[in-house]
Amino acid sequence: MKALHPHGWSLTVKIPLTITVVAVGVAVTIGVAMIVHDRARFQAALEDNVLLKARAVAATAPEALLRGDSWSLYQSLKQVAVPASHESQLSAVTTGMVLDAEGRVMAHLDPANNPLGLPFRPEDGVERELLDRALSARNPLVLSGAKKKEGFLEGVIPVFADEKFIGAVRLRISTAELTARNHDAAITVLGLTLGLAAIGSLLGALISRRMVGPLKGLARGLESIGRGELASVAPVAIRDLDEVGMLAGSFNRMTAELAEKKRLEQQVALNEKLAGLGRIAAGVAHEVNNPLGGMLNCIDTLKKHPDDPELLRRYLNLLETGLNRIASTVRGLLVDLHYEASPKPCDLACLFDLKDLVAAEMEGRNVQLHWENALDREACLSCSCPHLQQIILNLTKNGVQVMPDGGTLAVRSRREARALVLEVEDTGIGISEQDQHHLFDPFFTNRPDGSGLGLWITFRLVQRMGGSIQVDSAPGRGSRFEVRLPLTDAGAVEPAE
Amino acid sequence: MPDMRRRWVMRRIRHVILLILAMATPLPAAGGEEPLRIGLTAVVVRENLRFFDRWSEYLSARLGRPVSFVQRRAYRDVMDLLAKGELDVAWICGFPFVQKRDPEFLELLAVPVYRGTPLYRSYIIVHQDSPYLGMEDLEGRVFAYSDPDSNSGYLVPRKMFQRAGLDPDLFFRLTFFTFSHAETVQAVTDRVADAGAVDSYVWEFLIERRPELAKQTRVIRRSETFGFPPIVARLGLDPGVRAGIEAAFIGMTADLEGRALLQELALDGFAKYSPDLYEPIRVLAEAGVAFPLQERP
Repeated sequence: MKALHPHGWSLTVKIPLTITVVAVGVAVTIGVAMIVHDRARFQAALEDNVLLKARAVAATAPEALLRGDSWSLYQSLKQVAVPASHESQLSAVTTGMVLDAEGRVMAHLDPANNPLGLPFRPEDGVERELLDRALSARNPLVLSGAKKKEGFLEGVIPVFADEKFIGAVRLRISTAELTARNHDAAITVLGLTLGLAAIGSLLGALISRRMVGPLKGLARGLESIGRGELASVAPVAIRDLDEVGMLAGSFNRMTAELAEKKRLEQQVALNEKLAGLGRIAAGVAHEVNNPLGGMLNCIDTLKKHPDDPELLRRYLNLLETGLNRIASTVRGLLVDLHYEASPKPCDLACLFDLKDLVAAEMEGRNVQLHWENALDREACLSCSCPHLQQIILNLTKNGVQVMPDGGTLAVRSRREARALVLEVEDTGIGISEQDQHHLFDPFFTNRPDGSGLGLWITFRLVQRMGGSIQVDSAPGRGSRFEVRLPLTDAGAVEPAE
Repeated sequence: MPDMRRRWVMRRIRHVILLILAMATPLPAAGGEEPLRIGLTAVVVRENLRFFDRWSEYLSARLGRPVSFVQRRAYRDVMDLLAKGELDVAWICGFPFVQKRDPEFLELLAVPVYRGTPLYRSYIIVHQDSPYLGMEDLEGRVFAYSDPDSNSGYLVPRKMFQRAGLDPDLFFRLTFFTFSHAETVQAVTDRVADAGAVDSYVWEFLIERRPELAKQTRVIRRSETFGFPPIVARLGLDPGVRAGIEAAFIGMTADLEGRALLQELALDGFAKYSPDLYEPIRVLAEAGVAFPLQERP
């Protein structure tokens, strides 16, 4: 159904169709106008002709009628009935007669069937009416009619003698030739129309091919771009420098630029990836190397004084502290491994327990805590509780640390349609826009004692849970972290796996 | 307005006639003399104008002066021209020849010899396909005469009808004149007329020369024989010229060229006869129906 509606038609159909319709319309209009004009012109010429011929007979008719000279009248009729050599069949006389005032035949071109001296008595009504009109005419006139489907024109010239009506000359010419000519003209116009239609279609097809070809290429190219297959977009061939050609040119430039941009982006992404790996390697090296130096010193000293128990006890502690630090760093880096090891379900009670842990964190600092929990205590979540706790603890620790001179820390949790939303907001120093880009990178920190792993671990955990984390911050205004974790059926926060 | 138109048409007709005459008139001979003018009427079949050119050339060569033929529609016109001296010689009908003239201005010059005799008849003809067998069948029909001054085309047929007890003025529905025997045959062939009266010489001539026309007609009555339409001369004509033209006509049988011309006319020749040959026509014209005029074809 859709294909039948013009909206669904292809341009390759519409353009030729339009051109054809216009060509045919013009041809038909001109042709019909020509035929109508032609017919009117020939009709007028025929009327003149039939009157002229009737006048030629009527010229000698008065005397002949008065003398009863039927023979000269008959000869006059015959003379005009024989077409002159220059005349075509167009004005052939089909019948003619001279009647006296009472309607008696004084001469007739068909004398065998129309005896002289007898009243002219046509049998059919139309002929009788024409006879009445001819006999009542006192001025030359042209009548028209049809006999056996063949049209005719009749010239009537009344004949007078001393202003007395003494008879009438009636002469008829067939309009069959005129009709035939019109028929021929109509056929010519039809042929012309068909020819123009064919030419129009051909021309339209040619034009549409030139126009639609590039457009089809554009459409294919755009589809490829939509699918992201920039590499497979073939440049559109440009034939003309018209609007379509310009469009194709712009499109070709655009696809080239897009492909270049994508290539550059991939390059940048690779560079960043390598840079990140480098940073991680450097961070790991730094974190491991720092305690390592002290620990090697300790071992050196212990080797020199193997019998000093005090030294041994003190240095063992130092070694333990250093190894713990290394272990902590490695643990942090292996967060993904930990995550997969502990997917334990938990209820929201762990969130409520968290309040005490957070409060403990703020011990001895001039920080106020706003704890807003819009979640139901009984509501049970099936998720890894330690991870949830770690996310919030990491964020609150972070918040407390950026408020060395005190402030307010707000922790809010609520539920939205398909997500659990956790917010941690501080009134600390804020984060510059540049730092926001690297906030979740590993080993990125502005604090001299920070590991730079806290926010990275948080980010990795949220990511593993299929959620998202956002920062809204500006220097001097404080920061607000918003974590969204998707809820599954029964309002559960589930690990994304 | 119709008057003006008629005058215009008449003028045109005159022009056409003058043109025909100009064509029929041979160039003047060396002497630049006045041509001898011979009048013609419907009595001869006037279709082949070139025949008259050749005939006039032949006669002028015999006569030693130019000869031209002058064609007129009706006998009356020819008679007028003869009376005025505008024609010197004319081929006319027996009926005008016997009509009373005061003073007489004509004399018999020569008589054509047709099929061995200087005689011919009048035929009543009808269309081949018509049912008419006798004159009585023509009641209420259309009849074609040739010329009101014609013997065979008017006088004789009227007398034939009167003789049969029929009044030709009331008997027919309509009558008309064709002013030519050949056209009378045409009128019957075309069925413009149901019947017509023709010169037997013309009808036989047409049967031979234009059978497609004449064979559509059928003779239902023949008249008695009458003197063949004669060639007459104006009385005032110079005797030398008169003798010369007479000799030229009568001498046509003597040479090859003349015989060829006679053959085209379907005549045996021209001969000298007494005017008494035309006495029966005069008697018929004056005395009404006094003779048995008809015989079965």
